[in-house]
Amino acid sequence: MTTTVHPAASAAQNQAAATTDKLSIIMFSGTADKFIPLGVLAQAAAAMGTEVNIFVTGFALGAFTKHPKELPFPVEFSAMAPIVAQGMAKAHVASWDTMLRTAHELGAKIYACSMMSGVMGLEKDDFNDLVEDVVGAASFLQTAENGQLLFI
Amino acid sequence: MPETVQHTIVDSRGSACPGPITDLAMAYRRAKVGDVIELWATDPGVKADVRAWAAKTKNEVASLDQQQEKIVATLRILKR
Repeated sequence: MTTTVHPAASAAQNQAAATTDKLSIIMFSGTADKFIPLGVLAQAAAAMGTEVNIFVTGFALGAFTKHPKELPFPVEFSAMAPIVAQGMAKAHVASWDTMLRTAHELGAKIYACSMMSGVMGLEKDDFNDLVEDVVGAASFLQTAENGQLLFI
Repeated sequence: MPETVQHTIVDSRGSACPGPITDLAMAYRRAKVGDVIELWATDPGVKADVRAWAAKTKNEVASLDQQQEKIVATLRILKR
């Protein structure tokens, strides 16, 4: 039996396979500015019915504990920070944690990085109720497979 | 006999992106096929977002009007 593979059809199939309706975000940064797009994109994607997975690691991990410290604004934006805060309040933009909570309500899943948890001496019980589980990088990459991936 | 069609008004006036589209998604969770959701918003991004949301979720934008003080989008639920 001879099988003829049409290159264009095959490419289209590959493309279809590579675009599962899924957004995965690796949240690494620990400054307040970076948490705004995290909240906005997670909530918007969840509202669109997209599967959302967030892997929290690096400097972002502390914000997901039961007793988080206030997030600092990066020095280079410090002059702009009060204007942004004022403008956001005036425009009724929700805080990042409110947006993330809404995303969670719509099905977004949040995972803490096991390696960084170990480094910071944090266990599952130390994280807030948004954190689904403490997982490894390989398991998160498998979760993210064939979807869109963002690193913040 | 078919169930009664629900016409729900979602008032997202004053809410910034992605608030209105999220309010729409919340109403969609409670809706059934045939229902109509009318979304009121003031965030200008809502026009493109409503079209994107409908295309993505396979529902229909029945109308999209820029009124004097608000944008009114009417969505017909075709798929649950």
